[in-house]
Amino acid sequence: MELHLNDPTDSTPAVLDFHRFVLLFTHSFSDRVRFVGELEVEHAVVEGLEEGGELELEQAYLDFLVHPALNFRAGMLLVPVGIINERHEPPVFHGVERPFVDTVIIPTTWFEAGAGIHGALGRGFRYRAYAMAPLDATEFSAGEGLQGAAQHGSEAVVRNAAFTGRLEYVGIRGLQTGASFWTGDTGFNVPRIKTSVGLYEVDARLSRGRLEARSQLAHVFIKGAGALNDAMGRLTGIDPNIAEQLFGVYGEVAYRFLPASAPHDAAVFVRYENFDTQFKMPAGSLPLPQFDRDAWVIGATYWVDPDVAIKFDYSHVRSGSTVVPPPRSINIGLGWWF
Amino acid sequence: MTGRLVFVLVLAMATAGRSQTATEPRVIHVAAERFAFTPSEITVDEGSIVELRLTSDDTDHGFRVYGLGDPSVVIPKRGRGDVRVTIEAKEAGSYRFECSHVCGAGHGFMRGTIRVKPRGQQ
Repeated sequence: MELHLNDPTDSTPAVLDFHRFVLLFTHSFSDRVRFVGELEVEHAVVEGLEEGGELELEQAYLDFLVHPALNFRAGMLLVPVGIINERHEPPVFHGVERPFVDTVIIPTTWFEAGAGIHGALGRGFRYRAYAMAPLDATEFSAGEGLQGAAQHGSEAVVRNAAFTGRLEYVGIRGLQTGASFWTGDTGFNVPRIKTSVGLYEVDARLSRGRLEARSQLAHVFIKGAGALNDAMGRLTGIDPNIAEQLFGVYGEVAYRFLPASAPHDAAVFVRYENFDTQFKMPAGSLPLPQFDRDAWVIGATYWVDPDVAIKFDYSHVRSGSTVVPPPRSINIGLGWWF
Repeated sequence: MTGRLVFVLVLAMATAGRSQTATEPRVIHVAAERFAFTPSEITVDEGSIVELRLTSDDTDHGFRVYGLGDPSVVIPKRGRGDVRVTIEAKEAGSYRFECSHVCGAGHGFMRGTIRVKPRGQQ
């Protein structure tokens, strides 16, 4: 559960938002057949035909456990890309809002209908590989990247499947590293245009004593972006200015400063992000400077309980634009999980 | 004479220590964190007794191992101590363990294996 107060430092009014309410439930049909479900309400109220909250079925899958190295999974799945997408409980990450890279480069929470395999390869390595419904290129945007392009298993068009996978190493306590990808055609809604997306990502998380660090790099390649812009321009009258490449990277360091004997825990953190949703444009298109951004987020997390976090941060976004001011805000959040 | 007595005493103490060690279970520390156990593969000798000391680096987790008595316990949250599970590895083979307490979106990934080596195998 996440309750946020976002107060922009310009004249925009502050917003109090019950951002996420999540219900997670599981059932074991047997030792080898399991169900996992996750239902989420975003922004508290869901209203028909209006821009407002969302009710999302983020997970609903069956696991068929065959062998530690090879198991089968099918249903609504979280895309196994990046740190946050499969690990989004609010007490788990610092900052009131998720990292920008995990918003506009990797479109979390990214879930899709599909099926695949997963397992442990030994020596701390494990993997998952799924075939899923593809992204919809008509929902790409210049500023928000792939956000909004997932079909979310809602009567999803699967003329061509997309493929995704992740290889992780979790063999050393306190260290988790991973590399993941997504690839698939995206042009099913644009006649006679062939477009596809390749997303490649690497990440690492480290925890040593009271010090924590994490980093993630993601690079998106959109083939056929120029033709897509032309086709969308003809269809809607507006060139969406989609880029050929999107790129984002961040690094974060946190320190838990209360002694281990203290009944509660607290950490300060600083995160630097650099992200550009128009990293490389197709021939004939120019990038807009407001989409080449970086951000400093500095703040603190106070855990009343390991599953209840009070968060505070200041987010300072910068861009190359002298016309469009980047958002800067003071944020307070309450996150809990049980 | 005194030298011989000291040798016998030292030998007796060493022998006593060895026999005590032989009956004590081998202790293996296992850390649970969303969404992995470290180590996730544990190798033990057939016929041995091991004590798993399970701690969490974040929230409550569960621990259940199939085929070795099927113990199921809750691992307390970070900073709240450990839980200990004693396992007797009677028969060689691979035994699956997993988190048995829903711990988040990736709960289904929290699995591991205890491999019991046949006697005499290196």
